[in-house]
Amino acid sequence: MSFKKQLQQRLPHWIEQGWVSADNAAHILNDAAASERHGPRYLALAFSLLGVILIGSGIITFFAANWVAMPKLLKLAVLFCALWGSYALAGLCERRAMPLLATAFLLLGVILFGSNIMLIAQIYHISAHYPDGVLVWALGGVLTGWLMRSQPALVAGLGLGVLWTGLESQGFGREVHWPFLLFLGLSLWPVMQQRWRIALHIALIGLLLWSWFSFLAMSGWGRGSGAELYLVQVYFLAYLALFIGGMLLHGHDGWQNLAHVLQRYAAFAALGCLYLLTFPQLLRHDRGGSGMWWLATLLALLLVVALAVWHYRRSSAGVRPPFLNWGLGLLVAVMVLLLVNLAAERQAASTLALLFNLAYFAGLLWLLQAAVHLENRALVNMAFFFFAITLLARYFDTFWSLMDRSLFFMGGGLLLLGGGYWLERQRRRLTRQISGQREVGA
Amino acid sequence: MKPSTRLLLIVVIQTLVLTGMIAKRQWTLATGTPVVLETQPIDPRSLFRGDYVTFNYDISRLRLDELDGDDEFRQHDTIYVVLAPGEPFWRARAVYREAPAGQLALRGRVQYVSEHWWNAETQSSEEVRHVSVRYGIEDYFVPEGEGRVLERPVAGEEISLRVAVDRFGNGAIQALLINGVERYRETLF
Repeated sequence: MSFKKQLQQRLPHWIEQGWVSADNAAHILNDAAASERHGPRYLALAFSLLGVILIGSGIITFFAANWVAMPKLLKLAVLFCALWGSYALAGLCERRAMPLLATAFLLLGVILFGSNIMLIAQIYHISAHYPDGVLVWALGGVLTGWLMRSQPALVAGLGLGVLWTGLESQGFGREVHWPFLLFLGLSLWPVMQQRWRIALHIALIGLLLWSWFSFLAMSGWGRGSGAELYLVQVYFLAYLALFIGGMLLHGHDGWQNLAHVLQRYAAFAALGCLYLLTFPQLLRHDRGGSGMWWLATLLALLLVVALAVWHYRRSSAGVRPPFLNWGLGLLVAVMVLLLVNLAAERQAASTLALLFNLAYFAGLLWLLQAAVHLENRALVNMAFFFFAITLLARYFDTFWSLMDRSLFFMGGGLLLLGGGYWLERQRRRLTRQISGQREVGA
Repeated sequence: MKPSTRLLLIVVIQTLVLTGMIAKRQWTLATGTPVVLETQPIDPRSLFRGDYVTFNYDISRLRLDELDGDDEFRQHDTIYVVLAPGEPFWRARAVYREAPAGQLALRGRVQYVSEHWWNAETQSSEEVRHVSVRYGIEDYFVPEGEGRVLERPVAGEEISLRVAVDRFGNGAIQALLINGVERYRETLF
């Protein structure tokens, strides 16, 4: 049942109870009706985009079937006219107040720009390093998205950028594809300017993928030098810094939605890295790394501390939530642990793993409190997810060799059933609390 | 800036990019020195439409011990291959990391460096440092169905390519030759 219909059913009762006046009830219904007019907007946009893409594909396929028979000049005329035509139609729709169709034609323009790059390369036998073509296409999408304030075009550009870095890193064996960070920085400018959430999701997924590709490349640096261990620490700190950046953003009016997205991905990556540090197997790596790793770790540490202090000092002592105070203490403890881990002998792996486990579970508790305060339900779900998988991992680590197999599996089953039930109850309680807070806030 | 101006800017920039691709290739074709390179067609595939033939040039794998110039190359390095005329094909004479002044050199990118060389004549592996190079002239698009014909030339048919090399080292396929006779020739339009 639609929201408007629900209101129509319940408003008479609310008027009767004296909670809402008849005038206000009419205003509320009008507002709900107006919202519903905008409601199917995404559906209309999706249909417009799909329609335009199908038309474009049909045109391309039609010419594809007759491509060989066409002289070069005619081929070029078709390619350029299709590109110009789609942008002209976008302009026309924009002028006639048909923004959804305009967006769809802009996206078609971006698609045609890419297909033109490939087809011109084909016509003139250009076969040089093909990820460069994908980069040019991606930049075309970002340019269109930025200048025309079109999120679908920018999302297409970002997606192509991710494809570009994937091709460079995986297809062509680049060590670390640093130029992608420049591309991401450029693309994030319009995303932040327009506060586009979907585009931010894509940008952050791209960042996570790039981080993974770079990890694969860098973990091979200096065999036996413990590069993986150093990298996990640096990655943890970098994503922690991003999370604190998200908390800073959350403090600005109108930026909460973007901050939530940022916090979600940053917390996921930081928790993933800290989770890896809870395994003694990783901590047994030799610390034979160069000073470069120390420098990278210290720089990342400084960045985290600077952001944390900045965030801490922005809230006055009177209104500062308690989780921030003990969070700062936890942060200091984790920083010390990371530094100790850099200099530790591999024999200390078990002790360090124990300390990292304690820090990890304390971190999860802190995240739950922060999630409630930041009204970020995704963080609650994530914290419970990491809690559950770590509990299972520790159960396997500890009892696999100590218990009889049948007892081990039965115990695991009980842990899953009982723990799962308890965790789900807690998760629901916290997400309800966040929903309640939001409703009060609204 | 008005939306129509912004839209026009996008159209102009994207059109310039596309025409730039054509102009760069055409400039190489028009001003480059023609060289004939020995090649073996391999692996024709159906792509978007039509076929394309991938060529494996004689200069795609270079033994560094037989060439003048630099010896140290790594994967993804830019490489300049100095070409010298021969009969009937041009051959690599030297390789450099930087463009050599006053010499005709084709620019490529090192795909990999290997210490082992497969000698097809003796059917054995030799310890020879060599580089595999890609020049951006490896793919040639032909009308649909003709890729397979080029892949398997009939006995006695020898396929070679005439490539234009401009003063910056860029190469562009000018013509595809079968037994020295033009089969396809590239034109602007």
